[in-house]
Amino acid sequence: MNEIDHEIIFKYTGYRRADFSVCLGCKICASVCTVNDLELNVNPQELLMKLFVGEIIEGDHPLVRYCTSCYRCASACPWQIRIPEVVRALKESLGIEARFEKAFKKCINIWGRVYEPFVVVMAAPDLLKGGYIKYMPKWMEYAGFHLPHKVKRVSSSKTSKGLNPTEEGRS
Amino acid sequence: MEYGYYPGCSLTGSAKRLDRGVRQVCKKLGHSLTEIPDWNCCGALEYGNRNELLSISGENLTKAQAMCKEIVVPCPACYKNLKDADSDKSFNILSPLELLNAENLSQIEQKRDLKDKVFFPYYGCLLMRPEGSAIKNKNIMEDTISAFGGDVDGEKMKDRCCGGNQLFLNKWVTEKLSTLILGKSKGTVVVFCPFCHMAMKTFAVGRKVIYLTDLLLYVMGENKSL
Repeated sequence: MNEIDHEIIFKYTGYRRADFSVCLGCKICASVCTVNDLELNVNPQELLMKLFVGEIIEGDHPLVRYCTSCYRCASACPWQIRIPEVVRALKESLGIEARFEKAFKKCINIWGRVYEPFVVVMAAPDLLKGGYIKYMPKWMEYAGFHLPHKVKRVSSSKTSKGLNPTEEGRS
Repeated sequence: MEYGYYPGCSLTGSAKRLDRGVRQVCKKLGHSLTEIPDWNCCGALEYGNRNELLSISGENLTKAQAMCKEIVVPCPACYKNLKDADSDKSFNILSPLELLNAENLSQIEQKRDLKDKVFFPYYGCLLMRPEGSAIKNKNIMEDTISAFGGDVDGEKMKDRCCGGNQLFLNKWVTEKLSTLILGKSKGTVVVFCPFCHMAMKTFAVGRKVIYLTDLLLYVMGENKSL
């Protein structure tokens, strides 16, 4: 079990610890969470409180593993706290990303764009084990093949400017 | 009307059909799309570090700065990320769905109608949420289908999550969520998101899954069948 540095989560999400203190404990996030449709019984509000008080969150927490980034919780939350982004930050800081996610990011780092054949080759061991091969004909119907092209990076003037998602939600 | 165009990575790969459809439909509606030069990935839903994600999305806006202030972004994940990165709202970032309205639809030369055909317009998550980056007209697909005489089914399921984001991580999650949605709807599934298209197509048995652009091109007489 990896331990998380809570401050890294706050840095990654752009939230401050105090932003989670506004949580009313209404659990409306839990009532709409898609992961509960999978009969896994999770409570995103509990996860936020664990972060707020500095408790350990395990990498095999069902919300960390199965969050679909649907933003139903963020949409329903009175403070519009973006819980899917907190979950993604947790995954990154715990280093528990799947081979597919790592391949996706590696592709961006090499070329600046995602080339699906590269990601499929990199994630092949998981895809073979997971029984995805039978779906390939369905996916290949519209797939086109184009050669990787390296994108020139520019120094961005449109960076985050220390954006605070909670404050954005409040305005 | 002239727009900048940001296709995103999916539309140059597995969702090439959506790319072709958007370009064709926009041309028919009299909109000119110019691709942002040398655009890079928006970061999709993979980046845990929000600052990094906003930074790589922001690069696309920097590249677009010299050419336009209005950008058409078909992929809902790219649309959300670009909107988030444009914190000072200096660009007008649009989904192709926002280019469709009653006036535009009435301009379409209708060569075929959709009478006696049932459709399930499915938006998924990122077109509908979170509120700051969602599309304004949340019934545009229904309006489009009805305008050409089609019937709509499965209204309550249109913004449920198909689990497309989990397809390559935990297949059973996507299977369970997609089949739940498909089970509570009828007819041809109409989507506008490459994630949803892939997830629905994988688990839809005996149901057609098409992009809204396919439907529009069918109505215009460009596509032979749905």
